[in-house]
Amino acid sequence: MFRAEMLKLTTTRATKAAVAVGVAGLIATQVTLVTVLPALASGAIGPGREALGDDLPAFDLTTGAAQLAAVSPLGSSTGAGSIGIAVLAVLILGVLAGTTDYRFGGIVPTALAQPRRGRILTAKVLATALAGLVVGVTYAAVSLGTLLVSLLLARTELAASPLELAGVLGGGALAVALFALLGLAIGILARSQLAGVLVMLGILLFELIAQAIIQLVTGTLPAWAQLMPLSLGQAAVSSGATGGIPPVTAVAALAALVAVVVAAAGVALRSRDI
Amino acid sequence: MRLWPGHSRPSREDRMRTVLADGAVAKGSQHAGSMTKSTTPALAIRELSKSFSGYRAVENVSFDVLNGRVVGLLGPNGAGKTTTTRMILGLAAPDSGEALIHGRSYRDLERPARMVGAVLDAAGLHPGRTGREHLRIAAAQIAAPPARIDAVLDEVGLAPAANRRVAGYSLGMRQRLSLAAALLGEPSILVLDEPANGLDPAGMHWLRELIRSFADAGGSVLLSSHVLSEVALVADDIVVIAQGRVAAAGELQSTVAAHGGDLESFYLDLTATSAGVR
Repeated sequence: MFRAEMLKLTTTRATKAAVAVGVAGLIATQVTLVTVLPALASGAIGPGREALGDDLPAFDLTTGAAQLAAVSPLGSSTGAGSIGIAVLAVLILGVLAGTTDYRFGGIVPTALAQPRRGRILTAKVLATALAGLVVGVTYAAVSLGTLLVSLLLARTELAASPLELAGVLGGGALAVALFALLGLAIGILARSQLAGVLVMLGILLFELIAQAIIQLVTGTLPAWAQLMPLSLGQAAVSSGATGGIPPVTAVAALAALVAVVVAAAGVALRSRDI
Repeated sequence: MRLWPGHSRPSREDRMRTVLADGAVAKGSQHAGSMTKSTTPALAIRELSKSFSGYRAVENVSFDVLNGRVVGLLGPNGAGKTTTTRMILGLAAPDSGEALIHGRSYRDLERPARMVGAVLDAAGLHPGRTGREHLRIAAAQIAAPPARIDAVLDEVGLAPAANRRVAGYSLGMRQRLSLAAALLGEPSILVLDEPANGLDPAGMHWLRELIRSFADAGGSVLLSSHVLSEVALVADDIVVIAQGRVAAAGELQSTVAAHGGDLESFYLDLTATSAGVR
């Protein structure tokens, strides 16, 4: 059953398109971060640092912190609750993994081949987790490659330690796999591709809006308000030096959150008629 | 055309002979209405009922499908045929009653596709996959040997189009592909829901031959359809469902003969009260 689910993922164009868009988005984001921001700061393009003032984020690629931010497999970000194309693509990949069987009726032969619905869910979870991990490792390799090429072109030394880089890349790869599973669970619950994508976007927007409101009201972003998918993903790729949720805790919390949604999908899959 | 090509597993005929030796009834020996007497039916449907939002779609439906028999499940659109079929296959849970396959419910079968092959309205075909890719997935789902893929492609006459995307298939080709998937596990029971949809006359003839040879080799077939002529040419027994209930069940020839010999008149008399969309 696991092999069948892997074949389902690898024999559709939508999967390949989602991965291609994610990788392209990741490269575009990284290149923008490591080339455009320094160029803006130096005045090579735009009105210069003084004219831009606070609108220009501080980004010095010669520092280890900036290099770690630039190598994030989730797409570089300077904030906790933000979303990049790479994350969106892997979430959509997960939603497609959960809904394609319903969209084209493949859930019927699947349930005929394996009447025990729990085993169907297990196979889908394992296949999607593996696919998500492969995408996460690909993202990590692309991010690292883009950073190294950028540093080479800028004749800048690698300031981040290999251990720090491995932590960010590993945390990012795991977060990507967990995002794929989150998309899968949402897809199984929604069954419709359009509904699945809309629900997923709604959840992500809710996080961004809720955090903005909380920050405005309280003047800060408490830890409990960061226990949401995007923030946990960003915390998973942080170096842990700037406070906030430690990366290992973030990965564990994201895994727990995903497990709850997957469990809900399992209940729905078992109780529904097909 | 190769039928049931051999490989390392026991052949379907061998397995059917085993089943038949276990107390089954050969073709023509009994009719649907009295199939249960001292036999082990391939399919035993017992007082199945199912409601949707208070609407009674199927009510106390009971019938048997014996080994070596083709049973036509007839009824107008919305009569409850598909719901009954889905309950037999474990896709929908009955409110009450049970559907047993050689004494066990579908969900309790350890390797169901090795016992039951099903075609439900050509469902489950992703237009972006090739026919062969679909069968690779289906084979992986039931752990069928890869050699079976070429065998069933030959069997349904789809080998030349196997590497084309399903998006370019005609409805008849999709039905053949669904049948190929159903045959992958070399089952002893076929459950077919409107399998002739989209088939041209040659395809219909081919389908009848396939069903007949399958049953003659000891297999059992439940053929759900609203096309009377199709069922009349191949079925041994019929079960007529109207308004969610069994309106008639019995051996085709004798049942129809007892009602003037015309299947269409017999069917229309039974279903006339259920005219209209349900």
